[in-house]
Amino acid sequence: MDALLQQIFTGLVSGSFYALLALGLSVIFGMLGVVNFAHGAFYMLGAFGAVTVLDTIGVSFWLALVVVPLVLAVLGMVLERTLVRRLTSLDPLYNFLLTFGLALILQDLVRLKYGVSSQPYSRPDLLQGSFNLGLFTYPRYQVFVLVFSIVVSVAVWLVLSHTRIGMIVRASTERPELTSALGVNVGRWVTPVFGFGVALAGLAGVLAAPMRAVNSEMGGDLIIVIFAVVVIGGLGSVFGSVAAGYLIGMLTAVGNFYVPALSQSLVFILMALVLLLRPAGLFGREESMS
Amino acid sequence: MLSVHGVSARYGEAQVLTDVTLDVQQGEIVTLVGRNGAGKTTLLRCLMGLHRSMSGRVELDGVDITRRSSHQRARLGLGYVPDDRGIYASLSVEENLLLPPVVDERAWSMDQVYEAFPVLADRRRQTGTHLSGGEQQMLSIARVLRTGARMLLADEPTEGLSPLLVQQIGDIFRSVREHGITVLLIEQNLHFASSLADRHHLIARGQVVESLDNSEVKEREHELLEYLGI
Amino acid sequence: MSKMRKLGALVTSFAVGGTLAACGAGGPGEAGGAITDDKIVLGVITDLSGVYSELAGENAVEAVRMAVEDFQAKHGDDAVTDTIEVISADHQNQPEIANTKAREMYDREGADAIFDVPTSSAALAVAGVAEQNQKLFFDIGAGTTELTGAQCNPYTYHYGYDTYMLAQGTGTTVTEQGSENWYIIYPDYAFGQDMNKSFVNAVEGAGGTVVQSDATPFPNDNFSTFMTKAPGLDPKPDVLGTMQAGGDLVNVVKQYNEFGLREKGIDLAVGLMFETDIASIGVEPLAGTLFTTAWFWNLDDRSREWADKFKERTGSRPTFDHAANYSAATQYLEAVQRAETDDADAVNEELNGLEFDDFFARNATLREGDHNLEHDSYLVEVKQPDEVEEDFDFTKLVETIPAAEAFMPVEDSGCEMG
Repeated sequence: MDALLQQIFTGLVSGSFYALLALGLSVIFGMLGVVNFAHGAFYMLGAFGAVTVLDTIGVSFWLALVVVPLVLAVLGMVLERTLVRRLTSLDPLYNFLLTFGLALILQDLVRLKYGVSSQPYSRPDLLQGSFNLGLFTYPRYQVFVLVFSIVVSVAVWLVLSHTRIGMIVRASTERPELTSALGVNVGRWVTPVFGFGVALAGLAGVLAAPMRAVNSEMGGDLIIVIFAVVVIGGLGSVFGSVAAGYLIGMLTAVGNFYVPALSQSLVFILMALVLLLRPAGLFGREESMS
Repeated sequence: MLSVHGVSARYGEAQVLTDVTLDVQQGEIVTLVGRNGAGKTTLLRCLMGLHRSMSGRVELDGVDITRRSSHQRARLGLGYVPDDRGIYASLSVEENLLLPPVVDERAWSMDQVYEAFPVLADRRRQTGTHLSGGEQQMLSIARVLRTGARMLLADEPTEGLSPLLVQQIGDIFRSVREHGITVLLIEQNLHFASSLADRHHLIARGQVVESLDNSEVKEREHELLEYLGI
Repeated sequence: MSKMRKLGALVTSFAVGGTLAACGAGGPGEAGGAITDDKIVLGVITDLSGVYSELAGENAVEAVRMAVEDFQAKHGDDAVTDTIEVISADHQNQPEIANTKAREMYDREGADAIFDVPTSSAALAVAGVAEQNQKLFFDIGAGTTELTGAQCNPYTYHYGYDTYMLAQGTGTTVTEQGSENWYIIYPDYAFGQDMNKSFVNAVEGAGGTVVQSDATPFPNDNFSTFMTKAPGLDPKPDVLGTMQAGGDLVNVVKQYNEFGLREKGIDLAVGLMFETDIASIGVEPLAGTLFTTAWFWNLDDRSREWADKFKERTGSRPTFDHAANYSAATQYLEAVQRAETDDADAVNEELNGLEFDDFFARNATLREGDHNLEHDSYLVEVKQPDEVEEDFDFTKLVETIPAAEAFMPVEDSGCEMG
């Protein structure tokens, strides 16, 4: 039983990354209708951002947690203004291809600069060691990741549910055309929302740097799982993607424990089931599919 | 107030509107009457700037708004009540009301809205789509009144409603007119239309086939009903 | 992404296949006893852009070029030919691309021998092409024992290391030192499965027990499950053996440290590791970790001398893959020189059973029975951070495993040369 609880906790930690990434992906998809294939690349840039600011100007992990997402937000907004925007009126496939190409370019640029080996990055001193969680002890850093991601998710949820900006984002996600016909300048919010989604990916990247291999491939491997998470949670459903993120994390961890060989397929089996039985996703609304 | 000159529109290969010309005067209630698929909804979408492949000219108070984006048109005073009522499932009733920005000083305050539509006040915290059809229709109309829109473009507000509710909607539009707000209404219910409107445009196969005063409609009601096949 | 690559590979193979068919059967040169086209062509198929491009990659090609230059400098006018070319191709670790590139090199570019080819499935593909074309292939980058086992052939040599040797060094020695209970995790693909099998054999052969071995997804960035599981196994393992490579290995080590397994009495043993991996993880988290290597540059003066030349040329220290490429190319060229022809069968006669000793391969024999290069291998330990004197100076020798014990006995290999 302890072992199972521990696996569930482990799953929640890896789910933290899924949740943050799926959240950004979902907000971007909702607002722009763009399936952002470059999301994994932004996550990778986040991790490299942490490494770079440490190596070049000695910026600590804590500061990187703020600075790197901000820089990525700017990058995201520039990309939205210069590239993504030009294709939004066309078939969504065009932006899918654009972001796919962007992902490859970003990945290759990083590889050109840093090579294929992973970059070293260590945990902040404050988070070395372990916490005793009663039933088991757990690495401090990972507990921090879980708590931090929950805090960020809740904060995003509060902003979305309790502010005018959040209301506009929700409305534009649900019915962009109608929202515009009601006098809301949807286009003005598209750029910052894209930047925000990218910043979330970058934040996940910074969080990953101390505990995962930092190399140009790290995002490409992850993005497919994140797509599955978003589909399972319900495309465009913010709450759904966060919940599905933690859920998939737990599923993979428990799967790893009992049937390691099958654990990766579990995600996609679940996705197939969801698509068959509840095409709008576990938390998606049927109406928003039309 | 609103004039439409030679508007044509396509859906892909299909020509949906051909050279539509009509006008609506300040303070009038005017209906667009016609069968399903005649092009009424497309015309309203053209006026709202939601249909891209169109030609012709749309003027609001003498200002050419043909090139304006739809949120700019809303800010110039066009209030859109879409055919599916356009209530957001992800917004509460109150948020549905607060979403569109106020565009004119004669905008209704929330108090006024709730006074006029007490049912919305009772359900302000509920999810918008949890309201009944009639309540959603009221919400959709109240939403644009709160912005201070000078002209409502309403797409079949009575569709699927019980006679009692249709009556209520009729009352709402009459009181809207009393506030000096102009209304362009899509309607298939000829009886309802003639009980309310000043003038009517008959639309068939994407063209205005006849424009009639309300009195003429009343006289020719049977003939027109047959023509419309309603 | 791999889908796009596969598509690319498919398109390439169609294009190349078409061209070859149009050219008709070129066939290998018939004239024995001389150098075809008056030149020797050495082909290097390696990973020029992917995960192995630093431990092999461009510098592997450079090592072969160094071998050619040193050969020319040594023999001068007496060299069997004036012209020795080095060509290279990127196989992106895909067997189908490796297959295509190997055919292209042998058939159209006149390659006499191909070197390197990391990734086991790709190496096996090239071995097949070598046999069909009756041209030589020196596998260096891939570790599968199949190359000198069931799938061996007279034209393929395995030069440097294999999974048996890695397991023999690490698995046997660590078990004999008293860490008897193993928990093994391995990536779920050919190399990982091969490594797992070899390690289980080695550990059990030395009297130890493999408590459990788990296949892990590949690629994988989260090994927490396995780290939390390890201390609870019964009996509690003394050592965690990881067969992961590249980025996955980095993840394992980061998470091994995070979960404090060393403090819980579970040591870490790594199946295959290169200096490039240690650089990415950092020396500190790995200090004291044992692993087996075919060679390391700081072994002794002979090795350092070559490593200095290599660094002068490339700017970095060599991995054992780079050194083995140099060594293999040198032994091949010398064999051609002695045979006075680049005819593969004649060169083969020179190489078969050859005993030699160079800076890379000590007490070496190119075994006639299975074409495996038998040579001393080394059990090494990652240095403590304060012992590191320069970049890539990461390992120190624990024990030299004599050539005769380091590799699988020929009679066990299952190889039947056709």
